[in-house]
Amino acid sequence: MILRDIYWVFWRELKKLLRQRLHILMAVVQPAVWLALMGNAMSGLTANPVAARMLGTGNYLEFMTPGVMVMTSLFGGVYGGASVLWDRRLGFLNKMLTSPLHRAAIPLGKLLALLVQSLFQVLLIAIIALLLGVHFATGLPGIVFLLLLAGLFGMIMGGISLALAARIKSHETLFAIMNFFTMPLMFTSNALYPTRAMPSWLQKIAAYNPLSFAVTPMRTVATRGWVWGDILPGLAALLVMVVLVVALAVHQFSRSVD
Amino acid sequence: MGAIIEAQELVKVFPGGIRAVDGVSFQVEEGEIFGFLGPNGAGKSTTIAMLTTLRRPTGGTARIAGLDVVRDADKVRRVIGNVSQDLAVDDDLTGYENLKLQAGFYRLPRREAEERIEEVLAMVGLTERARDLVETYSGGMRKRLDIACGLLHRPRVLFLDEPTLGLDIQTRREIWDYIRRLREEVGMTIFLTTHYMEEADSLCDRIAIIDRGKIVAIGTPEELKGRVGQEVLEFEFSSGTDEAVAAAVARIKNIPNVREVRRGSGNGYVATVVQGAQVVPALFEAIAGLEVKVGSVSLKRATLDDVFLYYTGRKIREEEGGEGAMRTRMIMRRVRGR
Ligand SMILES: Nc1ncnc2c1ncn2[C@@H]1O[C@H](COP(=O)(O)OP(=O)(O)OP(=O)(O)O)[C@@H](O)[C@H]1O
Ligand SMILES: [Mg+2]
Repeated sequence: MILRDIYWVFWRELKKLLRQRLHILMAVVQPAVWLALMGNAMSGLTANPVAARMLGTGNYLEFMTPGVMVMTSLFGGVYGGASVLWDRRLGFLNKMLTSPLHRAAIPLGKLLALLVQSLFQVLLIAIIALLLGVHFATGLPGIVFLLLLAGLFGMIMGGISLALAARIKSHETLFAIMNFFTMPLMFTSNALYPTRAMPSWLQKIAAYNPLSFAVTPMRTVATRGWVWGDILPGLAALLVMVVLVVALAVHQFSRSVD
Repeated sequence: MGAIIEAQELVKVFPGGIRAVDGVSFQVEEGEIFGFLGPNGAGKSTTIAMLTTLRRPTGGTARIAGLDVVRDADKVRRVIGNVSQDLAVDDDLTGYENLKLQAGFYRLPRREAEERIEEVLAMVGLTERARDLVETYSGGMRKRLDIACGLLHRPRVLFLDEPTLGLDIQTRREIWDYIRRLREEVGMTIFLTTHYMEEADSLCDRIAIIDRGKIVAIGTPEELKGRVGQEVLEFEFSSGTDEAVAAAVARIKNIPNVREVRRGSGNGYVATVVQGAQVVPALFEAIAGLEVKVGSVSLKRATLDDVFLYYTGRKIREEEGGEGAMRTRMIMRRVRGR
């Protein structure tokens, strides 16, 4: 029963998403611009052998691609709660809450739509990266793995955002909280530059940054191959976090949303 | 036939201490159209929110079809339909998609859903526009779509919060017709709120007048009007000293069929009366011999406006509250929607 309920919430989100042409266009253009700009701006860097060794690859784009993937799903997820605030303001949330719809279906359906959205974006990034000459060390299975991990990370952020949106009523507050975490999360992770180039205090933070949990296994798979010792710790941490965050979001919606 | 809605001493206190609903008790029989009539902020929507399981009562209990709205909330949700004040239709979907979604929420089997969607679309006259985005609908069309959503699963009890707020007279009449047909064809129990007197008067079998969280009167429109007086007599003195006028008013108050006399605007007075046609000559007899002149007298049937004034001492200001509030909401939707 709950699966059908989730399906309908998901169906609505997807319909709405597909109608937002500009939104879709941005989803395509943004990662393309990032990759093209970053790849070009930093290409001088990889000419330096020390830097190349730190990056672990002679191609900065290859280093960057997993980072851009994770950041894209980070941004998608962070604003995931906004749709709940809209639904509340327009009275649609009340419509769902007075229907027999299972309450857990609201965050789960929305989360599923977020997942589809970030998988789509990350797939685009992979395609653009391929077109820009990035070589993925593990081929197609590796790309699928990258999609799944980026998607998993997007769900963590989306789940937190949704859980907050169940309590917080104003867009401003929700965005302020989410922004407060987004930027530091990005800059204390290894998404944009290698851990080895960081001062030691930052290295410690980066090691426990959830963003790095996603980036490290992804970068390993993209540039080095199936080195499980570097993949499993991050993967395990992500899985635990997803379970916790989704449980939290479901819990928040199952309490009365009074 | 037992009561399908029973509310006992319902109380809702919001954080900050606002007693939005302050000890409300009433019963609605199956098949009845029951109206909650009250001005802005009276607590109408808050009462509906408690009856539709949206908010937990701070105190008191309520049952729908014998089910407690707190303990059996899940079951209550299957029995009721709720058309809120907010025009809660999704602008980014078509009318048809809104209904399809609603059918999904209420777990209607696919074939049945399709049939019912056609049926309710025809009922609210939106068949032609069903495939257009709701974004392109007028306010009245949105409201009709929202009502159609509320009807789709044929609830035993339908809650309609301000079903005609901000609509033009013609659309308002149409919606009244739908509501009456629902009762006649489907036997649905309808709980509606309004601050239009004429609406409550013409539509409802029974009415509760609610003001500042409390029910101040409850009964059929006829009963309520009967308590106040069936008619309203307005008269005005064109001349006479203050003492003479006061004496005249005192005598008028003593006429047997006059219930109450209040000061109106200017030199005018308003009396609630029964058998007004006979009160008019009696009024002139009563003041004969006093140094006053009556400038004008008019007699009209009592409306619920008069009833509200009688019970609360205040008038309902329909225009300011109703239309203004609706318009603000619509504008907010538009602005935020972009
Ligand atoms: N979520 C809330 N938090 C605090 N106070 C609230 C809340 N919702 C309603 N109120 C207050 O409760 C009172 C009753 O509000 P309610 O919406 O029930 O009135 P209403 O009769 O439906 O009025 P209207 O005709 O404007 O719709 C008002 O004073 C309102 O300000
Ligand atoms: Mg209201």
